Parts: sequence; C-alpha cells; structure tokens
Amino acid sequence: MSDDDEMVGYKQQPGKLPFARPGSGGSEKFSELRDESRIPVSQGGTLDQPQGPNRHDSLVTGAAIGRRTPMVDSRWKVMGQAKYGDDIRLPGELFGRILRSPHHYARIRSIDTSAAEALPGVVAVSTGSEAPACFGVLPVTKDEHAMAQEKVRHVGDLVACVAAEDELTALEALRLIEVDYEVLDAVHDMRDGLKDVEEPIHDRGKYHIGDSNVQKRVFQEFGDISGMRDSAAATHTSDWYFAGANHAFTEPHAVAAHWEPNGRLTLYTPQQVPHYVHRALADVLDIPMHQINVYRTAVGGGFGGKSDPFPHEMCAAILARKSGRPVRITFDRDEVFYVNRGRHPSRLGMAIHADSQGRLCGMETDALLDGGAFASFGHVTTYYNGVLHTAPYEIGGFHYTGTRVWTNKPASGAMRGHGAVNSRCAVEVGIDDVCEQLSVDPIDFRLANLLPPMSRTITGFRITSIGMRECLERVRQASDWDERFRKLPLGHGLGIGCGFFISGSALPIHWEPNKFPHATVHLKVDMDGGVTVHTGAAEIGQGSDTVVALAVAEVLGLPLDMIRIRSRESDTAPVDLGSYSSRVTFMNCNAAISAAMEIRQELLDATSMITGAPTERLVIGDRRIFSKDDPAVGVSYLEALQKAQEDRGALVSSGSYRTPPMGRTHKGAAAGLAPAYSFSAYVAEVKVDVETGQTSVLKVWAAHDCGKALNPLAVEGQMIGSIHMGMGQVLSEEMRYGRSGNLLNADLLDYKIPTVHEMPEVTPIIVESNDPEGPFGAKEAGEGPLLPILPAVCNAVYDAIGIRIHELPLAPALVHREIEKRCKELGIDDPLDLPSPILEHSPLHHVLRERADEHALRDLERKLDDEREQYHNGALFGLDATIPADEQDDSWTAVVLPDAQYLESPRLAGSAWLHVERRHQGGDA
Amino acid sequence: MRMPPFELHLPESLDSAMTIAGELKEEDCDFDWIAGGTDLLPNYKWHLNSKPHVISLAKVDELSTLEPTHIGAMVRLQELATSDSCHPLLRQTAGTIASVMIRRSATVGGNICLDTRCFWFNQGEEWRRSIDWCIKCDCGTGADCRVISHQNELCVATYQADLAASLLALDATIHLASPDGSRSLPLAEFFQEDGITRNVLGDGEMVTHLTLPDDAGDWQGDYQKLRLRESWDFPEAGIAAAWKIDGDGDLEGLRVASTALESIPRLHQELADEAREGWAGGESVNALSVAIQKSVKPVNNTWFPPSYRKKMVRVLTRRALASLKGIKSAN
Repeated sequence: MSDDDEMVGYKQQPGKLPFARPGSGGSEKFSELRDESRIPVSQGGTLDQPQGPNRHDSLVTGAAIGRRTPMVDSRWKVMGQAKYGDDIRLPGELFGRILRSPHHYARIRSIDTSAAEALPGVVAVSTGSEAPACFGVLPVTKDEHAMAQEKVRHVGDLVACVAAEDELTALEALRLIEVDYEVLDAVHDMRDGLKDVEEPIHDRGKYHIGDSNVQKRVFQEFGDISGMRDSAAATHTSDWYFAGANHAFTEPHAVAAHWEPNGRLTLYTPQQVPHYVHRALADVLDIPMHQINVYRTAVGGGFGGKSDPFPHEMCAAILARKSGRPVRITFDRDEVFYVNRGRHPSRLGMAIHADSQGRLCGMETDALLDGGAFASFGHVTTYYNGVLHTAPYEIGGFHYTGTRVWTNKPASGAMRGHGAVNSRCAVEVGIDDVCEQLSVDPIDFRLANLLPPMSRTITGFRITSIGMRECLERVRQASDWDERFRKLPLGHGLGIGCGFFISGSALPIHWEPNKFPHATVHLKVDMDGGVTVHTGAAEIGQGSDTVVALAVAEVLGLPLDMIRIRSRESDTAPVDLGSYSSRVTFMNCNAAISAAMEIRQELLDATSMITGAPTERLVIGDRRIFSKDDPAVGVSYLEALQKAQEDRGALVSSGSYRTPPMGRTHKGAAAGLAPAYSFSAYVAEVKVDVETGQTSVLKVWAAHDCGKALNPLAVEGQMIGSIHMGMGQVLSEEMRYGRSGNLLNADLLDYKIPTVHEMPEVTPIIVESNDPEGPFGAKEAGEGPLLPILPAVCNAVYDAIGIRIHELPLAPALVHREIEKRCKELGIDDPLDLPSPILEHSPLHHVLRERADEHALRDLERKLDDEREQYHNGALFGLDATIPADEQDDSWTAVVLPDAQYLESPRLAGSAWLHVERRHQGGDA
Repeated sequence: MRMPPFELHLPESLDSAMTIAGELKEEDCDFDWIAGGTDLLPNYKWHLNSKPHVISLAKVDELSTLEPTHIGAMVRLQELATSDSCHPLLRQTAGTIASVMIRRSATVGGNICLDTRCFWFNQGEEWRRSIDWCIKCDCGTGADCRVISHQNELCVATYQADLAASLLALDATIHLASPDGSRSLPLAEFFQEDGITRNVLGDGEMVTHLTLPDDAGDWQGDYQKLRLRESWDFPEAGIAAAWKIDGDGDLEGLRVASTALESIPRLHQELADEAREGWAGGESVNALSVAIQKSVKPVNNTWFPPSYRKKMVRVLTRRALASLKGIKSAN
C-alpha cells in the first residue's frame, strides 16, 4: 500500500499530511541481498551440508546464525553499566549481614539477640525460629532453612541475620548476638560419613539409611558383568582422590529484597534459576508465588554456583519484611566459599577392562562423594558420576556404585560439567593406561570403540548426533599427534582426553515432562518493528540472551538490533528452568524458533495478501519478504508487518519446548537423559619440571561437537573458558581443609585460579554434527568442553614423565613426591635420568585401525539414512543391534540393587548398601 | 568487607611525618605506617591488628629516590623492576613480586617490612574466632600458636618477601628514622626471628632507604623463586645468590640468602664462605645447595607443604648458582 492511497473508514482532512509509517527497520538503512552461501543446499543455497539436512533448514534466512557475534549485552558490561547484584540501590535500603556458625557441628541451645536489637542503627534482627519452612533445589531433598533451626552443620552455616542503617553497625550487631552452642562430634572425612554415628547430620526419618550420614546411594549393573573381567586382556585399576573445587566466579553473591508498596516482594538476585528461588521464597515466606517478583540482575559468573535457592536470599526477604525497608546483603568472598555448591571432593575407584579385540568390555566405577552439609543437587550428582561415562564408547559391562555422604563442610553441588568431570577424568586416564598395556595408540583405540549416531547407550540413553569421531580426527591432525605422541623428550608430553555431556536435562525436576514444557518463549512485535522476546532463560554471561536473539533474528530475517530480550523478571518472563545442565541453547532456542515461526507465518500471509504470491513460494531475506520465483515480487518487512497488524495491533506469539519421551524405566533411568549430547576431544601438551614437579600446559588443541555453532565466537569462548576452569582443577585449585577441619583458603589469593600466565595457547576446533532436534542442529557448548582438559593433561603428564598420578590437583609437591618414588623404585639418583614412555605398536593396532575405518563408514551411513534400524550398545560384542542387549542375552543384566554376593565385599562407596533403610529395619525403627 | 575506621595522617615531608609519629607516641596512640598499602590494607580488612591511626607516606617525596646504590623506601616495586639505574638482581627480583598492578602500588620499604603470613592468621575475623584465634592476633585471649601448639611463646608465621633475599645477597644497609633520630644497620641485623615483632623497628620508627656497597655493580646474581602461579603468589621459597668474579675468572666473593622459608630471611654467609674457600665448580654448587637446604626449617603454614619447600631449596640454590658451575676456583 503506498502512502497516497485513500484510507478506508477514515477521511483525511484536506491539506493534512498522511500518517507516517512507524518503524525504522534497524540501524542499517538498506536491506542486504540474500547471501546464498548462508542458505543450506537443501533450500537451494550453497551452504554445504555434509551431515545432511536439518528440520530447521527452511527457516534459515542467513540473517544471524553462524556469524561471530559479540554478546548483545556486552556493551553494558564493558562500559560498567550492567547492574549486578550489588549494583542495585533502593531508596531507604538497609545493610544486611549474616551471623555464621563458628562450629563445624553444634546444637543451638539458645540465641539472645536483645543486645543486638538495642544497638542504635539496628532495624531488624532475625533468627531461624522465624522461618521454619524448609527448602532445597531438588524437591526430593529439601533440607535447608533460611537460618539454623536446631543445629548448625558447618563453619559458616547461617545462624541469624541483622539489618542496620550501615554495614559497620550490622557487623557490630552480629558481635552482640549471644549464641549458646552444644558442640557435637563433627564428620570431616567423607569415609567417616559411611559409618553409623550417634547424631547424623540430617535425619531423614524412615528413609534414613541406617544411622549413617549416607545421603544418597546408587547401584547399577548393566551388561555382561561377569564376562567383563573374564574376557579382559588388559585391566586398569586406580583409586582416585579429587579435591573439592569452587566455581570462584567474579561476582560474590549479592541480593536485595524489597516489599513494594502494594505488598508484593521484589527480590533482586544474580540467579541462574530464578524460578526455583521463586518457589522456595513462597514456601519460606509462606506467601503465594504471585506476590513475588524475582528480578534477575546481571550475573557475574555462575557456573552452577548460583543455581540453588539460597538461604541468604530468604534472609534478605525476611529482614525486609520485618523492617519494612529494602534490605541488601552482599557477600564477602569467604561467604561465597561457605555457601559453596562447588565440585564434590571425591574418592573414585575405577576399573577399565579391554579385551583381546581392543573392545571396552567393562567399566567399574565406585564413587564416594563428599556432599558437605546439605543435599543441594547431590541426588543427581550421585547418578551423574556413573551414568555420564556410559558414552561415547560402546561398552560390554557397566558397574557403578555411587554414594554421597553428608559431612560438616560447606555443601557441594553443581559445578560446570556437573557430576561428570571427575569420573570422566578417571575413565579417560584408565583408557590411556589400557592402551599403554595393549601397546596401541589411544586415539585409534577410541576411534574403534565409538557408538554410532542414532544409537542407545548401555543404560538406554538416546544418542542422536555424535561428532566424536571428527573431534578425535581433527585434534589428531592439528596436534601432529602421530609424529609426536610418545616421542617427546623427558618432561614434555602429549595427552588425549574426551568428553560427553548432556545438552539439557530431559527431566524438569518440578513437574512431569509430558505435562508442562521445559521452556516457553513469548514474542511481541509492535508498530516499531522491533521484536521483544520474553524468556526466563537466565543470562549468566554465557550468552543466553544473545543466542535466543540470534534464533529469533534468523527466523524473521532481522538484524540483531531489532531484537530485544526481556529475561529478567518473573513477572514478565514465562516460567523457565533457567541456566543449568546446558539447556538454554537447545531448549530456549527451540521454543524461540517455534514462537518466531508463528510470527513468520503471519508475515508471509500478509505478504501474500499484498503481493498475491502464494505463501509457500515466499522466502524471507534481510528485512524483506519476496517470492522465490521472482525476487522483485515482495515487500519490506515493515510493510508486511503493518499489513499483519491491521485491525489487531501488536503481533504476539508463544512457543515452547519439551523433550520427546525417552529412556528406560529402571530406578534412576531419568538421570542423565537428555534430548542430545555434546562430545569433545582435546589434546594437551605439557611440560613437567622433573626437579620441582611443576607442571605447565603449553598448548591445547580442543575440538568440541556443538551440533551447529549458532555463534562461533561464543562457542570458542566457552571452550577457552572451560579449559581455563578445568586447568584450575587439574593443576592448582582445591578447597583445602586444615587440621581443624576449617577451610584454609576461602579467598582468591590462596584458592589458586590459574592466571593468564598459566593459560596455554588454545586452538579451538568447532565440530558440527547437525543434531536432528537441536535448534538449527545446535547442541550445548557450555559444560561439555570442560571435561576433556583434565584427562588430557593427566595423560600428557604420563607421556612426559611416565608416571600415573591419581590425585587432583596435580600439585607440584604431589608430582615431585611421585617422581621421587619412581626414581627410588628404578634406582635413579637424578630425576633427569628418568625414562620417558615409548610406544611400539602391537598387532592389535591394525585390528583397531580397520575397525575404526569400518565404523567411520557405518556412522556416516547411519547419519544420512532416515530409514536406519535401531542400534543398541552391545552390537560390537556380537549381539543383535536392534534389540536391547539384556533382552536378548541372559548374561547381560540391568539391575539397580546389589545382591548378597556383592555385599560380601563391597567397594568403598558400595559399602553404603550395607546399611538398611530405617523403614526396612523392622521393629520400632 | 569493611575496614575498622582509622584516622589517616598525610604528612608531606619526612620531618612532619616524624612530628606526627612523635605526637601520637606521646599520646600513647597506636599507629601504623602505610606506603603502598597492598599488605596493610588487606590485613585491615580482615581486622588483623588494625590501629586507630595510620600515617601515610604517599606524599613524602624524599623517600622515592632511586640510584644504583640508593633505594628509597617509597620506590614502587614496578619502578624497581623496570629501572635501568638499579642493580640487575634487584630488578629481576622485583619483577617476580605479586603482579604488575600490585607492584605499581607496593613499595620497597613495604616489601622489606612485609607482615609475616600464616594460614591460621591471614583469615577473616569469623574464621579466626572459629579456631579460637592464634598467638599473632589473639584479641586479648592469650591464644596459642596454631601451627606448633603448646609453645605459647614464639610466632612462626612465615616472612614471604622476595626483596629481602636479594638485598641481603648484595650486602645492603638499611636506614631507619624515628622521632628520636635516625640510625643505620646491616640489613642482616634488621630482621628478628619472631613472626610478631619481625624486625628491630622501634615504636614510631620507619625505614627511609637502603644502600648498597659501592662495589655492588661488580656483583652479579640470580634469584630463584618457588610458587604455584607465575603471578600474585607469595614466594614459598626464595633463594638469592650474588657473586663477584675477579679479573682471573676466579670466585672472589659469594653470598647466598634465603627467604619465605622461616619467620626471618637468612644470609647464609658462613656456608657460602666455606664453599667459596674450596670452590670447585659444579660440585661446590651441589654441596652448598645441600648445606643451605639443611639449614632452613620451614613450618606448615603456607600453601606448599614444608617438606617440599625444604627439598626445593636445594634445587633453587643450584639453579641460582648455575652460572658458577664453570668457575673452577676461588681467589
């Protein structure tokens, strides 16, 4: 419609100008021609698709995805304008501070707050008696309170809180609170957590496991358990100790709570999962959820450490309610360590068996996890330590015992690579050792044992796309592996490590997956042409705002500056599970795409009405919708939009995502299920100073299969950041507890995060396996890339000095001790004379290479063939691939309870099964 | 994290600093000197032995002189690390301290007077309360040492400053000023083996500058430092060596000093003299390294275990003396 057409139903007065059309169409004035190199060949473009077409191909406009895009919120951050938790300033606000326990474990006999309350400047003091409701991130293990009820469970546990006019007064008030404690016997060593004690740290009533501190125990046996040991030609066994690690994000926790004049609570908090806080607040404050608005501030790093609902968030709300004024609580760094939720300190027993054909005939894992004082995500962690290493390899048997115990330490929880990192390290190092025993190349060995695309793991996980093979091949080439592995001089080494991680947990923990979506996204497109996206995905610095914006921009053919993300407030954002388990790209982009498809359809219909071209022949380019047959027939985006808005105003749409039904039905089958999985392979090159034991990582070649890089810049950033974080755990970071059981290094000088000097040169390699269900084929890149760096470094250290060390971090003192030990064994005086390991291929080498070549073909065929048959783990061992192994062969089992025979000599974590749950104890228990 | 409030004094000359110090002393007011503040203020934030008055030397320009044999107390470590008019050993040593950002604030005097450090001491107030305090900051409780218990006399906190070792190896003299006058003494006599007193500074006394002997330029040296990360971390062990080679290529002088191993940095002069007398290249290097290793007694209060730190003394000394392996005799 041109400007001077007569308008229907409204007479313009003579001499007046016609109404101007609103909307600018973005910062670039002119529409760009469609870039055919960004349009997939399946749609007639020239973008090569070696992994086949994708279900979203028809939505590709070439506008956004696949371009290296700076984060849409980065300018606020680099210009100091982003408002983090502690940047919130509210009129009349008070300073909140928390009184923490000085004891590891104690009963509170009494608390006297009268002196604190009498201190001038103190406005409110609160204790646990005012908030008796429990909460916790998992509905099955709610064991936390705003403040201690009866007992304190670790040094730093919350006892009381104070709101005062200024911080110093609040601190002074804390000193005036008198607490009478009865000190109880504390548990510090996780092994002691397995024992019966007089006063377990929590009481689970009839579900309590004996009188122990066992919080969760898992037993799983899949596959040919008896056969795996018998047929083993090489077996690796090891007992690992992994120190606990903290996320050590830049921004300490900070929260502000404000009861608005209308009686509603607004809680400002840097949260990864605002929705869980929302629920917990309603429970603890005993008010309906609709009276609460959770406002997610900018998040200065989360990594899993800001995904629990936290007691200090409750405290701020309680103090604000009591004082009638806004209350802000900002943590000091030591408080961050007290709230923790970092990586579990773990003792892992690992056995890897390989048979004479170089097949992984068995994996046995026994994981004892030090959970600290609360459950947090631990229920899940206990499963993840086992089930997340049942891929990418096809295995003959999987035996897992996992136990998480309570100890009197700050609670462990979810941290980047949740539950998978430590056991993955042990598996990959075990495979390296098995290869050493078999005299074969560890990359060849892996290539000959991979699950194919569209397959099922031994526990029934559904593998869709898998780029593992390409990852391995590319790092092999980039690192010049074949020329350098086992050939470098003493002190220099190369090592390989792989990873496998969920791309979004398939189970929403608060509702049934088939009853409510995981993610919902709303779009609103008004006269100005800009698209407002409402999503509850929490931008935590990982780029969730950016990736959701990219998905919408791509479908609608708009530049990014026309998309604005509103993801902060629970009042406006649809309920969302937030940013954990690497779910945002997969789930929220899928939801955003389906919301955008609705708008797209309306635009196409409007265009069809204007131009007369049939809708199905229309395509979207940069802010222009036109006919495939004749690009001259078309309208601008704004024209189409205006047409679509006639009679109704702003276009709105809603899209959602939920996972398809999947998985088996045994107890715990849901843990580890995901709609897709990411894969990665890294090669690390290290230098070990054999005289001092100091290890430095020189180079890392990192290949990660993220399905499709919607934003390659962000994917590479995630890989490099993951390497930095993983290097901390492998080389220097540990939460160190001293003789007294106190955490010795609750500060960033002594919690040793690698500096820029320690960072290796990283070559990121993006592998795109084109996931059939991911948005445009994409999968996660936020956590999986962390996993391989630990084993890659450990294996490289072996290559450098010929010593396997089963303890992390590889502190210089530890490495030095092992070098001394080895020198003594070999009768060598000078460590510089240590032998460096070498590799002389055994005949098995050729068997593996041939099998790897065959499998490479098999994989590509399966990938491209839509009519493919089922493939279940077990086919490599001669079973029928189309039927789950345990349904066709009696020697393959699937059990989740230990039998009497196992209990005769259980391993460390497995010994938790010697306890009987109280409800099964009989008598009056 | 809030510091306890204190009154800040900002004298603009050494004289006026001394006047303020004298007045505070007379009024029996406790105070601290502050230079760069990179050591003092973190301790204040942790409520460690903070004082009601702090005298800043930031505006006392006369303390910032840097000449080949004269190093003002207020010379910034970064200036030392990048200056051409400073002994190469000091330049090398300063370049390893903390990080560039910290070195831009931190000073030579502050580094020499660095407070001793210990896992049981460098902690927040609540933390220290939870272990019932310790001897170095007992908050009036008479608490025991937490590193070695039942010896309620001596604090064994570790002195972790780098510069001390290199200055000792260069035979530096330290110059002090107080309201009662000034004095100078060999740096080796400045330190005291006590984690609390640390050095001989009296009430109201401060370091003004350090001087090196006139022939310092004829001495070469090396500093070897043990730490986990290449930046930020305090030394877990530090060995400085300085030597003088005469015209015939013989070893004329040798000094070796250690730091970050005990409550005090040590100049191992007797061991070095002994080694120099019968100098025979690599063998002597090894023998001296072993001797120095035996003479130090680290305790368990820093990041690395003491047994490891002690073992590393031998490696560090050997590396510090590596250039002397080819020197076959002494004059």
